[in-house]
Amino acid sequence: MSQDAAVGAASRTGSRHKKAWHLAERPLVWLAPLTLLLFVTYVYPAIDVIRYSFTDATLLNPEYAYTTDSFKAVIRSPDLPGILWVTFAFVVASVILQLVLGLLVAMALHRGVRRRLPGVSVVRIIILSAWIVPGVAAGIVWQLMFNEASYGFLNAVLRGAGLSPVAWLSDPNIALWSAVIANVWRGTAFSMLLLYAGLVVIPSSLYEAASVDGATALKQFWYITLPQLRPILLINTVLISIFTLNTFDLILPLTGGGPGRATEVLALYTYNTVFRNFDLSNGAVLAVVLLLISIVFTLIYVRLLPREL
Amino acid sequence: MTTIGRTRLADIGTYVAFGVICLFFAGPLLWLVSLSIRTSAEIYVSNINLWPKNSTLENYASALNNPLFPIYLWNGLKLAVGGAFGAMLFAAPAAYALSRFRFRNQQLTMIGLLAVQMISPLVIMVPLYRYMDRVGLTDSHVGAMMIYIAVAAPLFTWMLKGFLDGVPQSLEEAAMIDGCTRFGAFMRIVLPLSLPGLTSAFVLNAILGWSQFIIPFILISKPGLLPIAVGIFNFQGTYSQTSTQILAAASVISIVPAVVVFLVLQRFIVGALMSGAVKG
Repeated sequence: MSQDAAVGAASRTGSRHKKAWHLAERPLVWLAPLTLLLFVTYVYPAIDVIRYSFTDATLLNPEYAYTTDSFKAVIRSPDLPGILWVTFAFVVASVILQLVLGLLVAMALHRGVRRRLPGVSVVRIIILSAWIVPGVAAGIVWQLMFNEASYGFLNAVLRGAGLSPVAWLSDPNIALWSAVIANVWRGTAFSMLLLYAGLVVIPSSLYEAASVDGATALKQFWYITLPQLRPILLINTVLISIFTLNTFDLILPLTGGGPGRATEVLALYTYNTVFRNFDLSNGAVLAVVLLLISIVFTLIYVRLLPREL
Repeated sequence: MTTIGRTRLADIGTYVAFGVICLFFAGPLLWLVSLSIRTSAEIYVSNINLWPKNSTLENYASALNNPLFPIYLWNGLKLAVGGAFGAMLFAAPAAYALSRFRFRNQQLTMIGLLAVQMISPLVIMVPLYRYMDRVGLTDSHVGAMMIYIAVAAPLFTWMLKGFLDGVPQSLEEAAMIDGCTRFGAFMRIVLPLSLPGLTSAFVLNAILGWSQFIIPFILISKPGLLPIAVGIFNFQGTYSQTSTQILAAASVISIVPAVVVFLVLQRFIVGALMSGAVKG
């Protein structure tokens, strides 16, 4: 071996060291594992969902052909208007109630903390507990609350007060609102946490100045609290809309989508289409709709976030 | 009215609000516990006494004596902890890059992570079920855990990035000047310093994994492989109305670990979560 070759080899190991050192300076190297993971499990499947929506694939048969029939089939389906209405009502009602209730709870807690009232942390812990209950368990809990057998809590209370019981889950006109109540029970804590974080940072000088000027509590709420909370209220609305839209585990043990289709939201309908009826192509069309709604909400959320991430 | 009197009145109002809040949020859980300590006779007695006359722990024993129930719990723990741990392996380096480097499309990367988080697992499960079926990863914890990891990784990254932004860089810079490689500084300085952030993100994602329903519900059909969330759903389907008290006991057992772990660490977790959601 000549001397040149030896020197060459030495400098090559040197540059390899340097290269390894350089490699760690590239953010892409650090991001590569996560990027790869999300590409395989999210990006590619999401693209594939769109592709499947243009086929006649079923879950059972590996063969399929390309067609736009599934879009037509989904749009013409007599179930679709009902499903969309149920989804819309469920999301809008849940979001409004979670916003209002979340704000009221946040304000009560905020006042309690400021006045150092004893017991505030207990209240906080109780609300957070409802939030952390697994969705399926929350569905079962509310199933037992609404149950029309004698162990249903709400009807027991009504009977005790001498009122007639309500068909919470078996009346198609009431079941959806029962599902909304259960969902609000679970979701309010998140809404409250965000709004509380917003309340804490409102400068107290604003309120002091207002009360010097003689503004009533209601006016202070209307002209200080609400405008100051506006960005967080908007972010909150977007986030809880998405969470509610994707709700699936709560409804399944509560009503199973029934009675009839009274509580079958889009996510549950998509699941049933693909995994109960094995209709992959129609299910893919519905999944694309869910995907598009998520993307739109994400874009709105991004616009609402402060510039610097 | 005097100012003090008005403040007193407002305090009373606050406590009234607290009372209503506690009733609404704790009520259903108390009812669940109340049902879980009843005998089957008292389930049908329509009384709204929270504490039954003949309270019993029999139902908890019945639930745990079901041969599948302890397996459900173990599977739930395994998938939750495995999923959160796996997510940490992917999230920690990514969060480091997002916090410490300035690069083109950084903003876009963060937004991309956010977008992924917004997509319902149901959407990706439609094709993923098909792929996994083909390679034999349905009815396997390996297959399910892969998706658990993927679902948890974006949130994990966001939370950790937020935490790392608050960890001063001077220590790692000093180590690198002293000849430590960047990777060495990451392993020996950044990770130990971000232990509180890692713990918060780990615990929250493990709790979310414990609650995860849709992924195992779609991927796993063998009863011996199901985690607790699907397990109690199946319980609900198989138990007749006369054994509602056992279903209630099983539900309590499924809820308690998540709530206890969360409450112990809630201040850290909530702080880490909020910094991600509001600040971006």
